[in-house]
Amino acid sequence: MLLAGMSKLLVTMSDVRLSYGRTPALDKIEMEIRQGEFLVISGPSGAGKTTLLRLIWMGDKPDSGLVDVSGFRSDRIHKRELPQLRRKIGIVFQDFRLLYSRTVFDNVALPLQVTGTANRVVQKRVIALLARMGLSHRRNSFPHELSGGEQQRVAIARAMVAHPVILLADEPTGNLDPEVSREVVDLLLEINRGGTTVVMATHDPRQVPAGKGRFLFLDGGVLRGADRWTELDEKP
Amino acid sequence: MSMIRSAVREISLNLHSKPGARLVTLLMVALAFIVFNTFLIISWNLQGLMDREESLIGMEVFLQRNISEAEGRVIGDNIGSMPDVKSVYFVSSQEAEALFRAELPGRTDLLDVMGSDFRLPTSLQVVFEREAMTQGRISDISRQISSIAGVDEAVYGEDYLPGLLKTVTTIRRLVILLGIVLVSSISMVVFYTVRLSVVRRSLTVDIMRIVGAPSWFIRIPFVLEGILMGVTGSAGGLALAALLSKVLSSAVTHRFMPFSWMTLVILLGAVTGTVGALAGSYEKER
Repeated sequence: MLLAGMSKLLVTMSDVRLSYGRTPALDKIEMEIRQGEFLVISGPSGAGKTTLLRLIWMGDKPDSGLVDVSGFRSDRIHKRELPQLRRKIGIVFQDFRLLYSRTVFDNVALPLQVTGTANRVVQKRVIALLARMGLSHRRNSFPHELSGGEQQRVAIARAMVAHPVILLADEPTGNLDPEVSREVVDLLLEINRGGTTVVMATHDPRQVPAGKGRFLFLDGGVLRGADRWTELDEKP
Repeated sequence: MSMIRSAVREISLNLHSKPGARLVTLLMVALAFIVFNTFLIISWNLQGLMDREESLIGMEVFLQRNISEAEGRVIGDNIGSMPDVKSVYFVSSQEAEALFRAELPGRTDLLDVMGSDFRLPTSLQVVFEREAMTQGRISDISRQISSIAGVDEAVYGEDYLPGLLKTVTTIRRLVILLGIVLVSSISMVVFYTVRLSVVRRSLTVDIMRIVGAPSWFIRIPFVLEGILMGVTGSAGGLALAALLSKVLSSAVTHRFMPFSWMTLVILLGAVTGTVGALAGSYEKER
């Protein structure tokens, strides 16, 4: 879904720089993400994809420049406001980051429980979402009892349960085989068709079918907007 | 209300996870407290011993032979009203003789040699307040008493008193110093043990952060867990120390520590556990 230039701005990055110690991670990042977009950020390992996503959920703040996410500005946001921002963002990681001592239901319900959502609402939403993800039969299972693909679907369900405006997926297929990876990408595309902005960081942009999103290439912390196939052809 | 219910649920889930790791933490805390409790029991008994020694420090005031019992009692009342004097006991001539015969049964011939008219002098036994137990103060009081009309001599063990007082003071200072060192090290052990148990669960903290949990929601389960581990660990340490004390009671006569000290031990556990948990959760939340 390509809506750039039509819908409202969700994320703006202006002249963003970030270093970890003396190692520069991102340099002169200029980027806009609009509501409803499916943005693919590709690049080799260490290019700064994860750092870029961390800047969006404000796990890090830039050394200079500005990150604005749905009105939350990196130069003004107070520590107390971070939970409010993060409730608008769903995050999916390569290593799933599930709580292994809790059931699938409890993992998915977590974002609602931490905001004090009424129990009946939690029940209703989680059960509906698990059904949509094809995980109803797994609601009482523990993550270690699930396959990698199922675990990632649980992680996506957890990211989506609070109805975020933006879903960040950091190498969501990194630990999955090609077939399951395709299923996960299809799921992200379906979520995007439902209106949620999706930002997916991946080392392999070929996982996303051509024409299904906007592609940006990160290399050595520098962002290049590019037609993905041309850019990929240029890179060995 | 729902959030509080969720927080309570979170605490319950936390407590049910990784019972093995929690048991190891509890054992570490309990073992640290056994060392501390053993020190407290030794200190408590040592203090009792020193109190007994100090209570033996007193003054014998001999009255002149021409002083009647009534006059002697008046002098006693005067001494009793002096600052730092705790109590005065009048010892009549007959009582002094009875005491002499009771305490030195092999030397009663000395009294017989002195003849039937001989009477031991009446005297006053003076006990001091604890705060006055210094060589300088006792010496002052002795001079004041000696200057009272009717007093023949005031004797208070000038030879051994300075050494005894110095020894008692030194032992007390050493116990306090050792206590401070032990409280600091126990606090560090409990602090780091609890902090590590929190840091070990960094994934939980990370996930809580990314799903938008407020700081208090993330921290409260850890803090309560810290309090619980501190209290349970210190109480376990007390129970084990009590068991040890019971086993050793037949071999070494001693008293277990008083209730107020036990309360302080539990409080120390709770405080160090809480601070450790807070430090761990702050560290992971940054």
